[in-house]
Amino acid sequence: MRILCFVKAILDPEAPPGAIRFPGKVESGDVSTVLGPFEGNALELALQISEASAGSFTAVAMGDGAQDVALRKALALGAGRAARIDVATGFVDPLGAARRLEAAAKELGGADVYIFGRQAGDWDMGVTAGLFAGLLDLPFVPLVQQAEVAGEGLRLRREIPGGYEESLRTGPIVLSVTNGPRTLMRLPKVKDVMLANRKPIDVLKPAEVGENLTLAEIAQAQVTRQSRMITGDAASQAAQLAAELRRFLVTGGGN
Amino acid sequence: MRSAVLARLLDLGETPAREAMGLMEALGGEMRSLILASSAQDAVAAVGDVHLGVHPALEDPDPEIAYLAAVRLIGDVPPDLLLLPEGPLFEMIGARLAGHFGMSAVRDVDEVTAESGAIVLRKGAYGGKANVRLRASGGVVAGLRAGAFPAADPQPQTASIEDLGPLAEGGKERRTVRDTSGDDLGRAKVIVSGGRGLGSREGYESLRPFASLLGASLGASRAAVDEGWASPSQQVGITGRKVAPELYLAIGISGASQHLSGMSGSRTVIAVNRDEHAPIFEAADIGLVADWYQIWPHLQKALEG
Ligand SMILES: Cc1cc2nc3c(=O)[nH]c(=O)nc-3n(C[C@H](O)[C@H](O)[C@H](O)COP(=O)(O)OP(=O)(O)OC[C@H]3O[C@@H](n4cnc5c(N)ncnc54)[C@H](O)[C@@H]3O)c2cc1C
Ligand SMILES: Nc1ncnc2c1ncn2[C@@H]1O[C@H](COP(=O)(O)O)[C@@H](O)[C@H]1O
Repeated sequence: MRILCFVKAILDPEAPPGAIRFPGKVESGDVSTVLGPFEGNALELALQISEASAGSFTAVAMGDGAQDVALRKALALGAGRAARIDVATGFVDPLGAARRLEAAAKELGGADVYIFGRQAGDWDMGVTAGLFAGLLDLPFVPLVQQAEVAGEGLRLRREIPGGYEESLRTGPIVLSVTNGPRTLMRLPKVKDVMLANRKPIDVLKPAEVGENLTLAEIAQAQVTRQSRMITGDAASQAAQLAAELRRFLVTGGGN
Repeated sequence: MRSAVLARLLDLGETPAREAMGLMEALGGEMRSLILASSAQDAVAAVGDVHLGVHPALEDPDPEIAYLAAVRLIGDVPPDLLLLPEGPLFEMIGARLAGHFGMSAVRDVDEVTAESGAIVLRKGAYGGKANVRLRASGGVVAGLRAGAFPAADPQPQTASIEDLGPLAEGGKERRTVRDTSGDDLGRAKVIVSGGRGLGSREGYESLRPFASLLGASLGASRAAVDEGWASPSQQVGITGRKVAPELYLAIGISGASQHLSGMSGSRTVIAVNRDEHAPIFEAADIGLVADWYQIWPHLQKALEG
């Protein structure tokens, strides 16, 4: 099967509170750029399907040179090819993004399976895979947790509220991938990481697209609480916590 | 402005669908309720001009069937603003419909305003560390966050009913499997959630007797789900469940903003983490810098005694 996997590198989503600031714009400080975790899940699925179907996959990212982090990771994991659509970083209208990814997919010769992450942890849009499927008029299966190659098709397990749904799909398809034990990204071998650093990354010119959504405002959101610390040795901490919990159970949550 | 709500007939009694209708009423203009139904029903509680699309497979639709049905129901001219309650229907078809109609898509929206002809939508970004307002100059499909909008009190209306006729088939050999482990998280008064810090499946399992002593439900961080210790329906966070119990206990969870986004509505938060700098302490009311495995034997004795 021919596979295109769309990856994105983002500011470390686990950066401590306050490390990235939003005074009307994104101030990233010294926070590093890493492969987004759902894009890691997408790469793992791309790898599994390409291994099982004796195929290969191409990784595609859109953005500036900082995206090469994601593409190098894809190459180290076994992507046959990596391409970057060269656009500036910042907020991008997801419809415009999907149109550019569509144009790049055509330029790269198309695919049988288009694999996306569930959500990129910068703008948390969670819509690009669906938009792309709608533009190409292809079936779309969201939140895939597991995929097996079955003859010409794919047996897919997708997350649904309170469980999962399994089905067999044939023909070109768009998937978004969610986290779970079967999509946990394997670690690339050190040797492959070194080799990947020497592989080429094709740079593609972005298609001309209009902008529909623009960023009108960005502001800091805060969720801090005043916390009271329970201290002492383990036995004393446990006793205080037990007292706290008992009080809670008796009063049913009233303070 | 022309707006429409797209919902399943089954969901019309639910608050999220009524909230979408409430927002549509508040925005005014031309309104339609587009309802996906598995059988014809002429009195439907909705607002605006009601249009019911009927196909037997819409009882529990495959993503493909739901999509094809919605495309037919919307017709050739989509509204400027198409509203769906955030949830499984949006997940399956919201963004795909947007792509099909050349509209943009925004989900988890908690505020919608019309500003000089443009629709402006507010949502979180950067795992909940930021809020953004996005201005749409063209059509947009919006997924609305539950609880963010006042619910309408829709009245039964006479609906125009369209038999959607044959729709192309969806996936073959389809089967759904229920997993009840996260069922009660939405209603739970007490939730005990475990993270990667528990170190192993056995470690995560040590939360089970603790939860049962408290009458609590079990939640998890993304890392605990990745490890296979907990099921995806137990994941709490921005890509998991949004919970709001009276008491939330976070054990061995660092407190990444994506996790906090799912539990910030909790009334009281207690965190146990062995790293005093863990961000979870900034989101907790009561904190214990401690190793769970040192605490738990004492705690168990104290609570059982
Ligand atoms: C787009 C996006 C969406 C995401 N959605 C979610 C989501 O919905 N839910 C979610 O949870 N995450 C989500 N994440 C992931 C999130 O960023 C974190 O990676 C994740 O929450 C970390 O899980 P954790 O706290 O269990 O693990 P870690 O960050 O590894 O933390 C483990 C903690 O355990 C502590 N610890 C270790 N041993 C012990 C011990 N013996 N006793 C006590 N404490 C101990 C450590 O000090 C550490 O703080 C998302 C990320 C992105 C980018
Ligand atoms: N700039 C980009 N480059 C490559 N893939 C992207 C880009 N933006 C989004 N995607 C893909 O779309 C998924 C969902 O992104 P989003 O809709 O922005 O949350 C990501 O996990 C990626 O697979």
